[in-house]
Amino acid sequence: MTASAFQPVPDASVAWLGTEPIPAAPYYDPAYFELEREAVFRRSWLQIGHICEIPEPGSFIRREIEVARASILITRGKDGAVRAFHNVCTHRGTQLVEEAQGQRATFSCLYHRWTFGTDGQLLAAPDFERFALDKADCSLPAVAVAICAGFIFVNLDPSPELSLGDSLGPLADELVTMPSATATTFSEYVYDIDANWKLTYDNFQENYHLRFIHPRSGAATIGAENPFGYPARYGFHGPHRTQRIWSNPKPKIHPFQGRSFGKSMGIAAVDGLTDSPTTRDYIALFPNFFVLGSPSQPFSHTVWPIGAGRSRGVIRLYWTGEDDSASRRYAREFSMAVARDVHAEDRAVIEAGQRGLASGALRHIHFQSQEVLCRHLFHAVNDKVEAYRAGIEGRESPAPRLGGAL
Amino acid sequence: MTRDQTSLPDGFEALEPFVATWAIDGSAARARARDQGSPEELRAFFIAAKDYLEDALERLDHKPLDGLDEQERRLLDLILSLAHVSLAVEVQGDDEPRHRLCRQHMRITRTPADSPI
Repeated sequence: MTASAFQPVPDASVAWLGTEPIPAAPYYDPAYFELEREAVFRRSWLQIGHICEIPEPGSFIRREIEVARASILITRGKDGAVRAFHNVCTHRGTQLVEEAQGQRATFSCLYHRWTFGTDGQLLAAPDFERFALDKADCSLPAVAVAICAGFIFVNLDPSPELSLGDSLGPLADELVTMPSATATTFSEYVYDIDANWKLTYDNFQENYHLRFIHPRSGAATIGAENPFGYPARYGFHGPHRTQRIWSNPKPKIHPFQGRSFGKSMGIAAVDGLTDSPTTRDYIALFPNFFVLGSPSQPFSHTVWPIGAGRSRGVIRLYWTGEDDSASRRYAREFSMAVARDVHAEDRAVIEAGQRGLASGALRHIHFQSQEVLCRHLFHAVNDKVEAYRAGIEGRESPAPRLGGAL
Repeated sequence: MTRDQTSLPDGFEALEPFVATWAIDGSAARARARDQGSPEELRAFFIAAKDYLEDALERLDHKPLDGLDEQERRLLDLILSLAHVSLAVEVQGDDEPRHRLCRQHMRITRTPADSPI
């Protein structure tokens, strides 16, 4: 081994996050999930889309946030501004928009034809004189929305504790250097999984499993000097975290795979994506989103909770510019297929983990030092859950309790 | 069918036997064809097509995508299927039958290749 051989991040540098066992119940307990619903998902900036999905005035997307039982309408107004609203008619609460996306100047409720502008204002309502109401008081309920590096975030807290910018801090500048910041289109694949959102998300923020679960598709991510493919660096900012993926000097790549990746990297170089300082970086934004700066596989992954033991993953590879050549189309098709092959291999073992935890057999689980991002997520979630619970108890209202496993 | 309805551009005649199975429009449909291919079918296509990748792309890159004729479009769809099939043969190998069961849960919902050009 040479002097420059890979050295994993020292245990001591992440010891501040502790080494103790982590309680198992938060990964399956429905009562804990109810607390997360309020403490985390109704009070955090949630990555919900990309600006390329609403490119023109009148463009809109509708997104369901099942964990918050919310349907959100995100519009681009005639003035170009991006706004977000609850997708509910202010007359009697009927969901206003059924299409997942589209282009409209106004939104009319099917029920009684109350009609709203892209700015949420009530424009017209039949026989409105019979209501003792002012139209100005009937606008769609606004939701806090903010954009960073092309990503659209919403916060269901009417008064978010922090602005998106204050929450992200220096990570905002790093996100801007990633290919997703300039994306105009994307590839997407989606999976449903019978597993808790944290257990699912954790799989994608540790490399300990790579050599066992991805022996073929992940062969290039491990090597003799780094047999587990551990990252070169970890970083933390509040509830968010980062890692720098190890650059394998001798990746094991099959011949055709190498030629195809060569096409991808050639195009990325032409597009100026290979010189970014974040090409090996992974940025995880609390609670359920991460994105990679890889020039050839610039993907994001959002894990949406559905229930205590059920989630949905949305993976997108972000591309700048439409397909303008056969080579570009091939590179994108290949990159998506490669990423999908890897992600497909994780699902079954995560579900096996969920079944084991949900049996209640374990009081605790364990994270080693190179699973520190999983430990950090648990603490970030649990800090918010405990603060929320303390607030409820401070008001002497009944709060959901855990089943004694904590 | 006439030759124009079935054939590929000159120089790619060797891939003609694979057009019916692998010249497929749409990313999800191509992924599905990989799932449905027998090990023999996947391998035969990969072995026959793998050395045509660069030639095919060089030929097709001379035109914008919306300017491709029927034969060129067919060649493009064939090469895009090769992206999927190569992973089955070269990377997954004898694990492909098990791996396809894992992949069926990963639903492709959108790609640039599925947008009108």
